[in-house]
Amino acid sequence: MIHFQNVTKRYGEFTAIDNLTIDIYEREFYALLGPSGCGKTTLMRMLAGFETPTEGKIFLAGQDIAPVPPNKRAVNMMFQSYALFPHLSIWENIAFGLKREKMPKHDINDRVEEMLRLTRLEKFARRKPHQISGGQRQRVALARSLAKHPKLLLLDEPLGALDKKLRQDTQFELMDIQEKTGTTFVIVTHDQEEAMTVASRVAVMDHGKIIQVSTPDRIYENPNSVYVADFIGDVNLIEGTAKLNGSDSYAMSWHEGHAPLSIKSPNAFSDGQKCHLAIRPEKVAISADQPAEADNAVQGRILDIAYLGNISTYHVELPTGAVIKAQTANTRRIARRAFTWEDTVWLSWTATAGVLLAD
Amino acid sequence: MRRFVLIAIPYVWLLALFLVPFAIVLKIALSDAAVARPPYFPQFDWAEGIAAFIAELDFENFVWLTEDDLYWKAYLSSLKIAVISTFFTLLAGYPIAYGMARAPEEWRPTLMMLVILPFWTSFLIRVYAWMGILSNEGFLNQFLMWIGVISEPLTILNTNSAVYIGIVYTYLPFMILPVYSALERLDGSLIEAAEDLGCSRLTAFWLVTIPLSKTGIIAGSFLVFIPVLGEFVIPSLLGGSDTLMIGKVLWEEFFSNRDWPVASAVAVVLLLLLVIPIVLFQRNQQKQQEAE
Amino acid sequence: MTLKTMTMTAVVALGTAAAATAEEVRVYNWSDYIDEGLLEKFEKETGIDLIYDVFDSNEVLETKMLAGGSGYDVVVPTGSFMARQIQAGAFQKLDPSKLPNKGNMWGAIEERTSKYDPGNEYSINYMWGTTGIGVNAGKVKEVLGEDAPIDSLELVFNPANMEKLASCGVHFLDAPDEMIPAALKYIGEDPNSMDADVVAKAEPVLMAVRPYITKFHSSEYINALANGDICVAFGWSGDILQARDRAAEAENGVEIEYNAPKEGALMWFDQMTIPVDAPNPEGAHKFLNFIMDAQNMAAASNYVYYANGNKASQEFLEEDVIGDPAIYPNEETVQNLYIKEGYPPKVQRKATRLWTKVKSGT
Repeated sequence: MIHFQNVTKRYGEFTAIDNLTIDIYEREFYALLGPSGCGKTTLMRMLAGFETPTEGKIFLAGQDIAPVPPNKRAVNMMFQSYALFPHLSIWENIAFGLKREKMPKHDINDRVEEMLRLTRLEKFARRKPHQISGGQRQRVALARSLAKHPKLLLLDEPLGALDKKLRQDTQFELMDIQEKTGTTFVIVTHDQEEAMTVASRVAVMDHGKIIQVSTPDRIYENPNSVYVADFIGDVNLIEGTAKLNGSDSYAMSWHEGHAPLSIKSPNAFSDGQKCHLAIRPEKVAISADQPAEADNAVQGRILDIAYLGNISTYHVELPTGAVIKAQTANTRRIARRAFTWEDTVWLSWTATAGVLLAD
Repeated sequence: MRRFVLIAIPYVWLLALFLVPFAIVLKIALSDAAVARPPYFPQFDWAEGIAAFIAELDFENFVWLTEDDLYWKAYLSSLKIAVISTFFTLLAGYPIAYGMARAPEEWRPTLMMLVILPFWTSFLIRVYAWMGILSNEGFLNQFLMWIGVISEPLTILNTNSAVYIGIVYTYLPFMILPVYSALERLDGSLIEAAEDLGCSRLTAFWLVTIPLSKTGIIAGSFLVFIPVLGEFVIPSLLGGSDTLMIGKVLWEEFFSNRDWPVASAVAVVLLLLLVIPIVLFQRNQQKQQEAE
Repeated sequence: MTLKTMTMTAVVALGTAAAATAEEVRVYNWSDYIDEGLLEKFEKETGIDLIYDVFDSNEVLETKMLAGGSGYDVVVPTGSFMARQIQAGAFQKLDPSKLPNKGNMWGAIEERTSKYDPGNEYSINYMWGTTGIGVNAGKVKEVLGEDAPIDSLELVFNPANMEKLASCGVHFLDAPDEMIPAALKYIGEDPNSMDADVVAKAEPVLMAVRPYITKFHSSEYINALANGDICVAFGWSGDILQARDRAAEAENGVEIEYNAPKEGALMWFDQMTIPVDAPNPEGAHKFLNFIMDAQNMAAASNYVYYANGNKASQEFLEEDVIGDPAIYPNEETVQNLYIKEGYPPKVQRKATRLWTKVKSGT
């Protein structure tokens, strides 16, 4: 439905968006994920019409939207600050866009009531924005931006102002509403957990470029770059050189005096190419004795233990000085924990547990 | 105790700087003119007692005000001049405040400085400067004739137009500052939200910017309207002889007729005319706040 | 310590104390009304600090006097105003023993001023003059022709003339006490009438010409005339003569001429008096005596082009002052001059109201 074609946006010397081409499909929940300053907000503001591309074109439903001003686009935006009109009641806020369309009065009434029901705000219709809670305000903002049946809804850090618990509830609510309304949602966030939770597809951005676009699980399991692997979740990165060892299988020498690591990878590497093994802590097993049948096993000393309740993360220092994180579920009570500081342990993982990434 | 002192200070202030002078003016308004020093009667005398003193007072002077249409005409004319000049001050001040609020952050202190800068020069000198600009042989006429817009000098000085120019110029900062502070607080994303929801730039301005700067507009308008209503210096320097303002009438009663009681009565009525809209306005504000 | 050093210390201490509280005299006079050299001379001669403030309307001065506590030691009201202020008790009687120069005064003037101040007990005359017509002769003749009646009230009270003059600008004094008598004189009524009905007759005369008057103001006309901004001013003789000199100095081609109207002109007297609550009446007497010195008074008149009430000063007057009939009118003109007393309160109110109507049309 949306097609960015070689879009570039520059502010003076600074390039916010760098020759970017992406597609967003209908009914999708699309997340733009990246650190602040990566260009994700600029991208969204170009969709809303508050910024125009320096080069390239943006198509909405096949139509170039460059000449369409923001007020004429079938695109609505939910602002990070919510931007609720403080002088208008909740009801009037939601009706604001509808009134601009010169909709008949009773239709406006019906639509506003419908939106109030959808966001469970019926009781607050007559209040002013400063008289309701943060979560309610967030829902008003959502109701207001959905009221006009936009083809595309843009959400700029929609949950940033909420506390964690409320954020989690609201994430599900958002997904629910997206499903009910069938609108295409594009969300901008720097919170990878949020992106992973709500989005059907995630685009990871950095320095004005899209690094990877994929479903949340693929982004997590199969990052296409060190950057993505590192940005999404926790990861161990081991640097080495690759050597082909059978089909799709590589032996990565990573430190002199240690056996090369055996890794299966769909990505092709030439012999001697520098590469990184990215492996998630929860895929690294920890044991007191050397495991019998592990593809890879290394020995180390426990440096630190982070106890998170449901899981614990062990920081294990290898003889080479590198620190590898391993995560285990705390299925037992803490008092009966098997390892403690300074214990020597074995870390092991299978050949398919990690991904091999180019430099 | 500390709380009491805190509350007492503004009340003492109000009492000393407003109520006591007002009581004195009111008392003079209820007296009779006399050839004496000061030129009214009765003078308060402890020996005769307060009762005797009060018995001497009457409302004659207020009755007098209703008998000559001069006073009503002067009040109405002042009101008209105050309304019109407040409107033009708003018209001129709002875009300036808007521009300031939209200017890059690092420029704003400088812009603010520029607005306040004229205050560093004597107000009289600035009004005299306008006389130099607006007179028939003045800069404005010379400039307009030089560029060929007019062939005969325009008579601006000594007309109501000059009064409006002078008032708008003098009171502009009083309008700009409150409007600016209201606009500066305005979240830019509200305008974007309005545009996003289908407003053109102009409707967004009407439906969002104006209502949200309403407090600044009202505060600025009052800051301009109230002093202009009693303005005396600007109309007497820039205005023509037919610029009728209550400040001038008051001056005449006081200075030409030496009739302090009538002058005081004029002042009391002027004050009431001012106080009533202010009180109504504040009531309205309070009600709104309670309703919220 | 010897007695001598002790005395020395005491003298030094006294000296500083005297310097800290140097004697002051505060004088409140009309604007553009003195040779400033005289002020310095007074300070030098007496060692008194002179603080000199100015005003441009009798009304402002009167209000200060009636309110009391003005802080001035010498003030200069016009006769008709002074009469009322004496009645209100605003001034103190002069002490003749402190005014040895009083003998210099001119009996002819004292006789006239005694109408305002019987026996001249409260005041001495500073200057006197006439109220008349100042014209930019060239411009007026351009507008009205060579035979323009520049020495007649016809010029300013005949609407036909004023309509034409409006194009080059006319100022009237903002002083009902001077303009109403002039209007009455124009229609042949008694200018000094205290009858409210007679006073009311001035209204149609003034109303008929008001649309053509650029401004009613009592001091702006000096500059306006000199600059060529206006071509006619009904004002005070000396002010118009000052305008004449300013124009001549500026060499801007403007030639100003003053005439006391031939129908009769108002003769007024500015009197120096001492407020009843003057902080330094002693110093005030010194100032009055200083002013009554023949040479000092002559210097003042030579500077401001007004006649004074000091007979002895006349020998020191310059020829263009004593010899100018606009300043020292000849015997024939003097016959034509009239004086005006202050209105009683009720008539004053009528006069002021009339004047407001003339100025504002309401």
